[in-house]
Amino acid sequence: MRPVYLDYAATTPVAAPVLTAMVDCLGIDGVFGNPGSACHEYGDCARSRVERARAQVAAAVGAEADEIVWTSGATEANNLALFGVADYYLKRGKHIVTSRTEHKAVLDPCAELVRRGWRVTYLVPGAGGIVEPDQVAAALTPETVLVSIMHVNNEIGVVQDVAGIAQVCARQGAWLHVDAAQSMGKVGLDFARFGVDLMSFSAHKVYGPKGVGALCVSRRAGVQLAAQIFGGGQERALRAGTLASHQVVGMGAAFELAQTLWVTELPRIAYLQQRLSRGLMALGGVLRNGDSQNSVPHLLNLSFEGVEGESLLAAVVPQIAVSAGSACMSANPEASYVLRTLGRDEQLAESSLRFSLGRFTTEADIDVAVSVVTQAVLHLRRIGGVGILGA
Amino acid sequence: MNYSSIARQYFELAPQVGVLEGSGTYRGVAGSRALGTWVQFDVRVQQASAVVLEARFLAYGCPYVIAVAAWIAERAPGLKAGEGLPESVVALQQRFGVPVEKFGRLLTIEDAWNRAIKMWHGSMRSRP
Repeated sequence: MRPVYLDYAATTPVAAPVLTAMVDCLGIDGVFGNPGSACHEYGDCARSRVERARAQVAAAVGAEADEIVWTSGATEANNLALFGVADYYLKRGKHIVTSRTEHKAVLDPCAELVRRGWRVTYLVPGAGGIVEPDQVAAALTPETVLVSIMHVNNEIGVVQDVAGIAQVCARQGAWLHVDAAQSMGKVGLDFARFGVDLMSFSAHKVYGPKGVGALCVSRRAGVQLAAQIFGGGQERALRAGTLASHQVVGMGAAFELAQTLWVTELPRIAYLQQRLSRGLMALGGVLRNGDSQNSVPHLLNLSFEGVEGESLLAAVVPQIAVSAGSACMSANPEASYVLRTLGRDEQLAESSLRFSLGRFTTEADIDVAVSVVTQAVLHLRRIGGVGILGA
Repeated sequence: MNYSSIARQYFELAPQVGVLEGSGTYRGVAGSRALGTWVQFDVRVQQASAVVLEARFLAYGCPYVIAVAAWIAERAPGLKAGEGLPESVVALQQRFGVPVEKFGRLLTIEDAWNRAIKMWHGSMRSRP
């Protein structure tokens, strides 16, 4: 039997209607044309599907269709936002503000910008993981060109007040980029109402395919980007290359489906998360990471006292698929930098598990997870001599 | 994470986990929980023959640490105290498939074992 899947924040299976829409764009009888081939029916049909998907994504995130730029995923969208703004507004200033709990897809481009002579201010969130708009305001200078703050944190699930941060940025004349890779289908999204200038999305976190994402570029704000990929002028010359139409169509279908389902999914996921949380907290010596009042219910990140992180993960993964820290960092044995930033000591940061719930998670799955983790923690605490005199 | 089958077996079953109390038992501890690896061995030694009668372990660390400590404790009965581990740390590394970057953790295990035996030696020297 396959392990129970509780790693939906890493990726999700492609939803059946999404798969159907994608397959329809691949074969000889389908809409397989190059959407850039405007001179014949095959290309026209493909372009029509791509534009429909663009409208679907825009509608789901509260943007206009012509604000959507297709990319290969949220990482590329983040890179386009950061390097695109940095290159275009180079003469305005060379200062960026971000936070220490961002995904590596933002932190690594920031590190590259530092190598190119930019100054980056890394804000430290409070213990709950929240970056306050006042913190952003205090970090802004006349040289600040861009602020990049994620919406939903991929490790701890906390939701940032991006609308509040957007107001602060707008007052100071700095652009705001938001990495919203984990947001769709988990929390209300309204690009226009938030007042955000740039927002990154990914399809595969929302029951869409891997390899496609989008950057939402505000037309209202008039933010400009320098292209980072050249060779054909696609996507308003911001991102050259033949569009992967089946991927794009899959993302459109996935976002439309998520927009339809998320309101009804939310209470079910919240119930399951509470069941999981209650079950595991009963162990004692379990600490929740992140502000539970400002988090999506899909993510639960817990640290377990008295157990070593690698052993904990090794003990549970044969039966449940979870992450220790973020999936992107799983090859790295270091403790989660997000949890360390939040003030957890190294042992607690290492002994954390991220449970991420999704559309196909059942109550039975949660009960298996509670049982498996409980047995593993008790076993490891016994081996470690927790509670034994003289140990 | 791909652990060898013997590493996974001893990690999951952890035979001989626990402590020994009473006369004729000696304890050795090495490492630190804060640094990620901590091991404790308790050994019971037959005074006349200097043979290890039984051993127990406690460990905080990665699966290899737990597995190797458990294996040593299981193999300990019958060992001559003072002859070291049932196998060298190099042989243990090979037996369990311990990655080279974790080799230092085997030395912590060896330290804990040697300290337990040293306690026995010390008790023998202090006898009238």
